[in-house]
Amino acid sequence: MNDTPPPAAKIDLGSTFSFWVLRLWLGARALITGIEKYSGTRSSSEAVTIDGAPNTYGLTAAQSDKVYGLEFYHGVPEALSQRFASEPLIPGFSLSLFDKVLGPALILLGLMLLLGIATRLSLLGMGLVYVALTVGLILIRQDAGVAWLGVHVALVAMALNHVSHNRLAILKKW
Amino acid sequence: MDNATPPTHDAVTRRSFLRSGSAAGAGLVLGAPAILSAAAQAAPSDEIRVGFIGCGKQQEVLFNAMKNIPGIHYAAVCDIMKDRVGAAFGRIRAAFGNNPRRYLDVEDMLSKEKDLDAVFVATPDFWHAPHTVMALEAGLHVYCEKMMSNTIEGARSMVKAAEASGKVCQIGHQRRSNPRYRYTLDQLINGNNVCGHITSINGQWNRGVKSSQDIKVKESTLPDVSVLNKYGFKDAHQFLNWRWYRDLSGGPISDLGAHQIDIFNWFLGTAPTSVMASGGKNHFKHREHFDNVMCVFEYDTPAGGARAFYQVLTTTSAGGGYYEAFMGTEGTVQISERDAYTQVYRESDAPSWDPLVQRGFLKRSSAPAPAATDGNVIAAYASAAPEAYELPGALSKPPHQPHIENFFSAVRGEASLNCDARHAFESEAPIYWVNPAAQAGQTIQLTAEHLNV
Repeated sequence: MNDTPPPAAKIDLGSTFSFWVLRLWLGARALITGIEKYSGTRSSSEAVTIDGAPNTYGLTAAQSDKVYGLEFYHGVPEALSQRFASEPLIPGFSLSLFDKVLGPALILLGLMLLLGIATRLSLLGMGLVYVALTVGLILIRQDAGVAWLGVHVALVAMALNHVSHNRLAILKKW
Repeated sequence: MDNATPPTHDAVTRRSFLRSGSAAGAGLVLGAPAILSAAAQAAPSDEIRVGFIGCGKQQEVLFNAMKNIPGIHYAAVCDIMKDRVGAAFGRIRAAFGNNPRRYLDVEDMLSKEKDLDAVFVATPDFWHAPHTVMALEAGLHVYCEKMMSNTIEGARSMVKAAEASGKVCQIGHQRRSNPRYRYTLDQLINGNNVCGHITSINGQWNRGVKSSQDIKVKESTLPDVSVLNKYGFKDAHQFLNWRWYRDLSGGPISDLGAHQIDIFNWFLGTAPTSVMASGGKNHFKHREHFDNVMCVFEYDTPAGGARAFYQVLTTTSAGGGYYEAFMGTEGTVQISERDAYTQVYRESDAPSWDPLVQRGFLKRSSAPAPAATDGNVIAAYASAAPEAYELPGALSKPPHQPHIENFFSAVRGEASLNCDARHAFESEAPIYWVNPAAQAGQTIQLTAEHLNV
């Protein structure tokens, strides 16, 4: 009788690395996109001083900076939002709700994916977000955007298919 | 357009309340997610209720410039193209959460919208006069895009209607309210005489062929031909590209040149005495209007004679965009809506501008000064390069916003207009004679008959 223990399951380094790369890409894509939704430009509104007094013409210091803040939040880009708003198949309340949750959802899902928290669920959530955006773009006939989101959805599906190679995760369950 | 006379618009009580009302609270809605501002459906009585007549590209520009102005309720939108009405509706709903009422006919809108205070007219040029007159006679304040009309008679009718109605009628020469322009005229040219005697003006708007192509949209989004015919368009091409048709617009000299020639006349404080011009269909041979026009206006100013050259080119972007340059014996102010094209130059032999810099009227340019000699200069003929300076500040708003703010302030009785119909007419009148001068190949001496209402 042979007493040697069965060999431990071998880690496929190639598959592990490829999943990491995919996880990092999708996580960073969502996280940074979500953060950018809080970015804006702040132009100086300080009146420049001329002849010892603030000018009354409305000339301000000529500089504007990219800044981040809750007050700059814009979920759905304005140009798209306007077109969605005039689309009869998109109810107003759903557009408002989606606009409100899109940024926080992308940040949360991106963080979960980067840290490896419930990777399957976070990938599923991310896929659903991209599908929802795709529906809107189909309705307003933005074919290039649909194809672009289709690539994202394909990458999410690929990641779900290879999730068994997930390593270095905080919460592997789900 | 139908001939039915719109009913008189009567909302005097509410409008007079506007003049004393405050706009507090309106700003709370701005920038908030639409879900939070759904309650803004009913306008508080101190808000100015606005309708849009014409919802094309320019309406979008105007709306984007005015949506940060508090105290406005967007009540109605109108265009003969359903898609454009939908787009304007979407812009308003996305920004404020309220649903403006949608119309495909101006008279229908004016007859049903009893609570409107003001309308913005951004229709094709040949509709400006009828729509403005119609709205003024309906008791509304009007902000109308330039050019006032495609004909000088149309522009005259607008002045008469505005003055007969007693309503506020602002024409969209938005540079008139731009802090950069107002400061330059008041403080640099008049206040500190940086140009000395202005002898020459040079203005231009050059854009390339790619930016001058015909506009096309999906055919399915266009109104029926019968609708287009009803509103004065022969076909879809005319409807989308009315700027190139002689019966519908003044062409590039009016489309692009009007803004800048207005500045010539405003800054000099007088109308030109003559105009000579040349134009041609050099590239877009099938268009009715010239694609390139060059003209020269002559002026008698208190300081002496001056002449202004203006060119509008739609076939090349060479030569550096769009600006107006006021060239004098001591300095030149080159000014534009764009920072990049705005600069002030001191002639090398003019008195020092150091005191102006120290007091903050000007800044030294951050751009490197040109070399004094580069080996190619024939010293006996060439002047030393002028020193470059910059304005001390900039505009931190969209270029149209100050002009619209001025309009609303006037509606509230808090300010006078920066470009009312009469002043706009006085400035625009010489422009109506550029195309005739170019077509006839003659210099036109501009008399009271040419220039007066």
